[in-house]
Formats: sequence, structure tokens, C-alpha cells
Amino acid sequence: MTSPRTSTRTGAGRVLVAVYGVFALAATARSLVQLLTKADEAPLAYALSALAGVVYIAATLGLAEIGPAPRRLAWGAVGFELIGVLTVGTLTVLDPELFPDATVWSSFGAGYGWLPLVLPFAGIAWLWHTRPAPSGGAVVHIAN
Amino acid sequence: MDGPLPLALITASLVFAAVVLVYVALARTPDWALLGFAGLIEAGALVLLVIAAVQVGGVDLAGGRSITLFGYLLAALVALPIGFVWSLAERSRGATAVLAVVGLTEAFLIVRALQIWPS
Repeated sequence: MTSPRTSTRTGAGRVLVAVYGVFALAATARSLVQLLTKADEAPLAYALSALAGVVYIAATLGLAEIGPAPRRLAWGAVGFELIGVLTVGTLTVLDPELFPDATVWSSFGAGYGWLPLVLPFAGIAWLWHTRPAPSGGAVVHIAN
Repeated sequence: MDGPLPLALITASLVFAAVVLVYVALARTPDWALLGFAGLIEAGALVLLVIAAVQVGGVDLAGGRSITLFGYLLAALVALPIGFVWSLAERSRGATAVLAVVGLTEAFLIVRALQIWPS
């Protein structure tokens, strides 16, 4: 079992899970509507939105400690998310024509109040802050 | 959808988020007053969904825009209950702050629904 210190879903982690949950729902629902109603207009952008949705779902589940290896899932998802938003952000700033329709990660998430850029850093910081003690043993505090 | 209800809901949701932040600052846990406030917003979201369903036949919403509209309105209906379940499962400042996220999301969802509705 995870203790409150190493749990990623207690305290500030609860807010983080809520924000990731909103993005998971938003990106997934948005891409589903786009792919079902106008897939041929901007297939790359919509497929990317769907991929972003899956990454946000994975991050939400991982941080909420759902599934067999939630911490590994969360690390993978926020790491992918960081690479995704930096890559897509850079590409869309350099060549705006690349994605005719906006995705969550376009222009580093400027259309979503820069939250898509801030979130992976917050996720990584939180996972690092709550990391378990090395070797899995008890943490011994030594007074100076 | 043309009446004062959407704007009232957006304002109420933003005020709700601000009140929650005061609770977080004072380290107060959610009480019945906060729950009642959220209940009013939830009732308003339900009324808005019904109004949109009644009026949607009379307006021009091409392509997938009616799907998007009801997507936003349904999300506005489920956001508060889900947020409360997630928040009330724990007693901490972080758990209370979840309700601020919910309030902001609620306001955003209704703004988007309003943008889709042809005026």
C-alpha cells in the first residue's frame, strides 16, 4: 500500500488528477466528434488530438492510482505528454500550415490557457515529490 | 438558450470557484452551504439542457455542431457530481480545491455551449 507521503492522489495530487481528468475528457470527446463528423478535413490533427486524449487518460489513471502499475503508467504518460507538447508546439509555431485544425498541443497549448504546457511539468514535479524511498525500506530520519 | 440563464450559470459557477478558494485559504472543509450552492448550479445546468433540447429543432445547427452542443451540456451536468465524489472522498485542502477546478470547468463548458448556439 502507498502511504499518504508517496500517494499521488492525495492532497495536491487530488487537484492534479481533477485537472488531468478534465483534459482527458475534453481531448477524447473533441477528437471523437472531429473524427466521426469531419475526419477527412484534417486527419493528422484529429488523430493527434485522439492520441493526446489517450495520453491524458493514462496520466489521469496513473496519478489516481488505478491499475496494476500506476506510478509507471503516470511517468510514461506525463513524459510522453511533455515530449508531445514541446514537439507539436515547436512544429506548429514554425509551420502553422502543418495542422489545419488546432489540437490541444498546438502553439504549446496557448488555446487552452497554456495549461497543456504547464501540466506535464506539474505532473513530473508531483511524481518526483511523492517518489517512494529507495530500496523500499523504512525512511529513517536522523536528527542533526 | 437566449434568456438570462446561461449567463447566470456562468457567473454562479465562477462565484462558486471563488468561494471554494476562500474555503481552501481558510482551510475549511466543504459544508452544506457549499453543497447547496452547487446543487443550485446543477439544477440550472439540467434546466439549460432541457431548454436546449426543446429549442434545438428551431435553430440551424449544421454538421456535428448539435452533437458538440449536447456534449458540452451533458458534460456540464455530470461535472459537478463527479467532482464532488472525487473531492469529498478526502478531507484536505487539495481535495477542497478540486471543487474550484469543477467550478471553472462548469463555467467554461457553458461558455462553449453558448458560443455554439446561433444567436
